[in-house]
Amino acid sequence: MRVRGSLSQMWASTVLVGPALLLYLGFFVVPAVLGFAYSLTNWSGWKNAPTFIGLDNFVELFRDDRFIASIRFTLFETVILVVVFTGGALALAVLLDKVRKWKALIRGLFFYPYILSILVSGLLWQYMANSREGAVNKILRGMGLDSWAQNWMSDPAWAPWFITAMVVWSALGFFATIYLANLQTIPSELYEALGLESKSAIDVLRYIQIPMLRPSITLTSVMSVIFGINLFGQIMVTTMGAPGYRTFTVGYFIYWQGVQHDRQGYAAAASFVTFVVLLIVAALQTYLMRRKEVQL
Amino acid sequence: VKSRKRLYVPILEGLLLVIGLVVVSPAFLAFINAFKSLTEIRDNPLALPAKWSFENFGELFSKVGLSEPMLNSFLMCIAVIGSLVLTGSMAAYSLTRRKMTSGPVLKVLFLAGLIIPFQVVMVPLLQQFRTLNIQTSYLALWLHYVSWGLPLCIFIYSGFVGTVPKELEEAATIDGCGPLGLFWKIVFPLLKPCTITIVIFWGLWIWNDYTQALVIMGPAKGQLAFVQLGRVLQDQYVKNWNTIFAGVVTLSAPVTLLYLLMQQKFEKGLTAGSVK
Repeated sequence: MRVRGSLSQMWASTVLVGPALLLYLGFFVVPAVLGFAYSLTNWSGWKNAPTFIGLDNFVELFRDDRFIASIRFTLFETVILVVVFTGGALALAVLLDKVRKWKALIRGLFFYPYILSILVSGLLWQYMANSREGAVNKILRGMGLDSWAQNWMSDPAWAPWFITAMVVWSALGFFATIYLANLQTIPSELYEALGLESKSAIDVLRYIQIPMLRPSITLTSVMSVIFGINLFGQIMVTTMGAPGYRTFTVGYFIYWQGVQHDRQGYAAAASFVTFVVLLIVAALQTYLMRRKEVQL
Repeated sequence: VKSRKRLYVPILEGLLLVIGLVVVSPAFLAFINAFKSLTEIRDNPLALPAKWSFENFGELFSKVGLSEPMLNSFLMCIAVIGSLVLTGSMAAYSLTRRKMTSGPVLKVLFLAGLIIPFQVVMVPLLQQFRTLNIQTSYLALWLHYVSWGLPLCIFIYSGFVGTVPKELEEAATIDGCGPLGLFWKIVFPLLKPCTITIVIFWGLWIWNDYTQALVIMGPAKGQLAFVQLGRVLQDQYVKNWNTIFAGVVTLSAPVTLLYLLMQQKFEKGLTAGSVK
């Protein structure tokens, strides 16, 4: 067998990995690398030939109020989403884990928004928040709270919370499901070992569930950071950054400059900044995972 | 202790059921309003329709023309899933099981793709499609979906390839099975649960996609289901919520029905990318 040679083995490996590698290199790695090159030019994309301008794009970025606004809003969302998707989803999962009757139904209700298209959730929430005919305002008026009724989506103070509520609505069940899968791996002996007297829900949470859920906690916290940094489609289908750049995310800024305003070099610089931030998050994740493995 | 427990679990169940119903209520609202006229939606958005009428759906298919985009989306799903299963499973098998000198480097390269979001490659990718003269085409979108989906696909397959017993492969090799035959005849059938996960994950993802299809195909030639629905919205100054809701219900129906039929598989499949 070995005589049949490493050549045919090499050929087999090439056939097996080749197609995936070619597609991935050609339409993912190459554009990603080219993007970094574009970020050092003033290229529009098609109007002019790219000219090397050094780090000018980056200097301009950090003086651009709209970019600063987009960083501020992205940070705001990321912080809230990490808290809600890590802590809130854990609490929800612990509660859902106690449910015996209608188990599949109740879990299904919470998970359902996650399988809907971004466009659908955007439309549903736009309808809910609409000033004249929206359901939220109808309910408020019905309760006699006419003065509370307003267009939630275009109000500068409410718009960021509108986006937050929509994103939480669509993905909270998903994060809770990750925890639920992990909760089911906790052996029942552990619960018994805690003893009956101290078996209050808080003790169970503190001494058994939270320590055993640590892999999921690390995972969801990292995933929700990435989720927050990547917010883009959700903005595109609802506020489009309005009112007054109040709900601009970094992702939407890239799209707005690069695709809609033909400033590819500039948009590529913003992409590069995003990439560096994500790299730091990933490095932190690797570090946290490794620390966890040592402890186990 | 037990009696206290018996008391609060039903209360918790009732409470969670009510909250769960509130969670799905926006979708339910869209469903009931899809069967009402525009005036009825304005006057009475929260009530059940006085008469269940399918007029909005008729208008959706005759005026908006949703049947062809739906077919296109379906075909795109099949094309992308087929390519991902084919190339992703082979690559994952090769990278985890076969001895390759470049293996570790390639693994890191593919894994790096997991954290890079669409916005980072979006701008240069559009430029590349323009250079190749395939901008705003189905080919471009297919190329993007497959190359963008491969890292996660390989990641999910890699975790599963490890569970295939090595003895099986050795036995097949002794029987004279070549390396490619070994993969397709012995290993690939065993990866079936993983393939189901990939089909659910990417089927749902591509059917539902709006953002990436819009960016790559452009609004003028948007011929996929959700892009078409999005176009209708942008054309309207006053939103015709009755048509919109009919569109929302039509396009979410296949996904919802499949979810009702295979809830467990969906939940497992969609969280698969996150389980280490």
